[in-house]
Amino acid sequence: MNRPVRSELRPRSGGGAPWPSWAAATAWSIAAALGATFLLAVTAGLVDLLGDGDDTTALLVVGGAAGLMAAVIAVWVRPPDRIRDADVLCAFAASLVLFIGTVTGLFLLVDPATSLVDALFRAGTSATTTALEANPVDPADHAVRFLVGGAQWLGGIGALLLAVAVLPFFGAGREFADRSRRGGRRPMAPDPATAVRHLFVVHGLASAFTLIGFLLVGVAPLDAVLLAMATASTGGLVSSPDLESAGAQWVAVIGMAIAGTSLVVLWRLGVGRARSLLRSAELQAYLCLLIVGSILFLLWTDGSGVDGIRRAAFTVTAAVTTTGFPSTPGGNWAPAAPVLLLGLVSIGPMTGSVGGGFQILRHRILARVATRELLRQLHPRAVIPARLGGRIAAEDTLARVVVTQFLFVSVLFLTAAVVASAGLELATALGAAVHAISTAGPVRTLDGTLVDVGSWPGGVRLALLPAMVVGRLSVYPAIVALGAGTTLIRDRVRFRRRLTTSLGRTTGGRRPSPGTAR
Amino acid sequence: MSPFRRLPFGDRWASTTASVVGMALLFVAVGMAMATLVAAVDGRDVVALGTATAVTGLIGLVLFHVAKPDSQDQAAVFSAVGTTWLVASLLGALPYLLAGTFAVAGRPWAIVLADSLFESISGFSCTGSTVFGGHNPIESQGPGILMYRQLTQWAGGMGIVVLVVMVLPSLRSSGLGLIDAEAPGMGVDRLAPRISTTAIWFWGIYAGFTMLVAVGLFGAGMGPFDAVAHALSTASTGGFSTKDASIGHWDSLSIEAVLIVAMLLGGANFTLHSRMLRRRRIGHHHDPEFRGYLAMIAMGTLLVTLLLVDDGMGLGRSLRSAIFNVVTLGTSSGFGNATGEGSAGDFTSWSSGPQMVLLLFLVFGGCTGSTAGGVKVMRLRVGLSHAYRTLRSFRRPRAILLVRQGRNTVPEHLVERIAGFMVVYGLLVVVGTMVVAALGTDLITAAGGVIGSLGNMGPALGDAGPTASFADAYSTPARMALAVLMLIGRLEIFPMLLMLVAPYRAVDGATRGMRIRLRRGRHR
Repeated sequence: MNRPVRSELRPRSGGGAPWPSWAAATAWSIAAALGATFLLAVTAGLVDLLGDGDDTTALLVVGGAAGLMAAVIAVWVRPPDRIRDADVLCAFAASLVLFIGTVTGLFLLVDPATSLVDALFRAGTSATTTALEANPVDPADHAVRFLVGGAQWLGGIGALLLAVAVLPFFGAGREFADRSRRGGRRPMAPDPATAVRHLFVVHGLASAFTLIGFLLVGVAPLDAVLLAMATASTGGLVSSPDLESAGAQWVAVIGMAIAGTSLVVLWRLGVGRARSLLRSAELQAYLCLLIVGSILFLLWTDGSGVDGIRRAAFTVTAAVTTTGFPSTPGGNWAPAAPVLLLGLVSIGPMTGSVGGGFQILRHRILARVATRELLRQLHPRAVIPARLGGRIAAEDTLARVVVTQFLFVSVLFLTAAVVASAGLELATALGAAVHAISTAGPVRTLDGTLVDVGSWPGGVRLALLPAMVVGRLSVYPAIVALGAGTTLIRDRVRFRRRLTTSLGRTTGGRRPSPGTAR
Repeated sequence: MSPFRRLPFGDRWASTTASVVGMALLFVAVGMAMATLVAAVDGRDVVALGTATAVTGLIGLVLFHVAKPDSQDQAAVFSAVGTTWLVASLLGALPYLLAGTFAVAGRPWAIVLADSLFESISGFSCTGSTVFGGHNPIESQGPGILMYRQLTQWAGGMGIVVLVVMVLPSLRSSGLGLIDAEAPGMGVDRLAPRISTTAIWFWGIYAGFTMLVAVGLFGAGMGPFDAVAHALSTASTGGFSTKDASIGHWDSLSIEAVLIVAMLLGGANFTLHSRMLRRRRIGHHHDPEFRGYLAMIAMGTLLVTLLLVDDGMGLGRSLRSAIFNVVTLGTSSGFGNATGEGSAGDFTSWSSGPQMVLLLFLVFGGCTGSTAGGVKVMRLRVGLSHAYRTLRSFRRPRAILLVRQGRNTVPEHLVERIAGFMVVYGLLVVVGTMVVAALGTDLITAAGGVIGSLGNMGPALGDAGPTASFADAYSTPARMALAVLMLIGRLEIFPMLLMLVAPYRAVDGATRGMRIRLRRGRHR
């Protein structure tokens, strides 16, 4: 039954009833988005002091207000006894969308000359770590540059939270979460709170490591921070001439490879359980993708020498990890080269990493489902469990991964159809849709040249945003949130229909008695 | 089961595969003989077709004589179906090779062989992609070869194995399995208590439908030879034409109208046609799949028309081009109504929006139980219902949610089977696109070709549109890859992928004793 929300949100004296699950989740999502905005705005304001400092005051004021609102909401919420899985996923989706909205506001605040469409697109590509750059940022504008980098880094944190602390506990794939304490192990994610703590430690260390690497190769401090943020978050949205240097590219390659590695693998490396990692099929597949992909790319672009290897490793790693750092094409691109990059982007890195794409574990699950289906043709009554990494995948998990694939392809085709109808050429439309849902970017033509996204109409750019949001949320949380919204609307419509019907009855219509046959 | 130990002259060889292949080759030989008779009218290619008839018939006769059906397990069934189609397609290339159809302009023999195989596989799988083109126009061929081309599609449309089940008494007990393996959709509806009667019914309806289409096309203005030829490839939703420009050669609204209706019927479940004939009333609209199929075609037509009008094409021309191309791709027929490159019917010259819509129809296909290819409407509907159910389960984790089609509940094992099918289909599209692109094709042409081949559509996008030849759009290795995908798609994936299992199991069984003895020796 739908009760009016307002009465529930009013704080009650002397304790009071816990909030319903959906209300608490929604409030927390708003608080999270505002909290992230506070962090971003305040830090950007302080960074702006390194430049002309004309945006510092505005950013600090807005950031402070956002932080205050977040604190008030967090205190006001009375946690429910139990929070539903669907509400958690919806809250996450709402939080990301809200964060994009607040970051849009920040961009408009620091650069009033920017159009709403440009600000929204920039906020969307930053928060979803997609790296589709429409309008290059002025290198002297520290505030905007930091907003872009910071939004990416926070978006990456959000993606990790979803992958490590939310989906394994509230979604699918619980059997693959690192929770076992057998043999004296220290698990990465025994419960959500511990998972979050470990996540910040591992990701923070990875970001710091990348930052130190950039500083060591001679990148300027601010640029090093921005590059480290863009690399660790697999955002790739940064305008820095230092990225053209060989040293910076090698550091980026290592940083991206680490960012594309599952957090569980990095945790086990840190706690000294590295030997078991050698047996990890997903890690082997990931490394294989990087190495074989680089070799194929080198061959298909006529690359040679150390520079050629570096360029191939940089481009392929950026594609596999869905970072999407732009790079000049170089060499003669065979028709297979852009298809290879597109394929790598859609495969994506390891599951439980900050990268996008469909991710390797899900592909392995699909392969198991396919193999099982082939065997079932021969033995229709056989019970054939799907094993991955020594664990039996639950049927629920298998079904959700299959549905995720279906939704992934559906959103991809729908996005491609919309942007194609809006005027993009077919190959570019398909490429843009793949990059959007895989949160990769940039889009290349068939000869490897980077497409100028800024030349696309505003409608095309905005049409890509939903695919980016869906992709960053690993598809089905976004669809669950959409479904919840439509259900809410449908319930309200039915409520009105019931109201209309009951009004009709009270003004003279006859209600049939319970025993009357129809 | 001892498939490889017995000699052919003596006791009969126990092999379901060989028995079915032998009978199937006899039917293929009958088709070649009919084409030979047509060729005799003109005098061209008579020797080539006659020789091919004799060779194919002899091989079929020998296999049928020396083999007898044996094991009826699923592995043997899949092996029989897959091998039948493979051997029929390979031997089906003989007429083209012997007639020198593709030996033009000094082409190397390897490419001539590859082109002959491609055309044969495209025919039997009812795909309709062709290597004829500007350098080697279809019109330059004799009537015998042209009729043979059409007959390959007609044979492949209803299914060679269904034909075999009709006449082989010893196969009747496993006939349902064989028919289901040839077209593993939602399960075959028995039209009669005996499976042989069911098979006869299917072929009877199919033959009658073909004759009706021929009469319709003749009445619409096609010559008798062209009418019969196009009726053969329409009923099978194959798409081969006797003209390079396909239906665009006539540029006739009445011909296109007859074909649109015929293609729509060809893409519908033949069980519905059978029920209509037996009950003497139309009941197609009661079937939820048929309603969904028509709704998709209608929506696609409307969308494409609006997009074409928005691009500046006139309303009448837009509607005509939209409806013909949406129906031809939605039913996997593959006819074209382009009068030339860049004309209104050449969808590769349309803007990206309508092409994207057509790309979706390259995937969907027709109804289950029809001659059409593609993923099939029923699978799509079940897939969507399954996806919706899984998402609803998030909000209602303890609810028992069922997948329904109309009033019927779809059994869970069928839902899993369809989900598995779509996973395999998706993986084949991705891998196929990568392979074809690696063999020198651009992204759109590769993706369009792979999707079109798996769905047995015919024309693709990019460089392989309705006015193009696959010989120009794809390299020879890429064409061979597409040909393999055509066979996989025609048999709906599993039989072709599993056809190797039976021989593997035979070898495995034969060597099992030896391996056990070796293991025992090691443990002593």
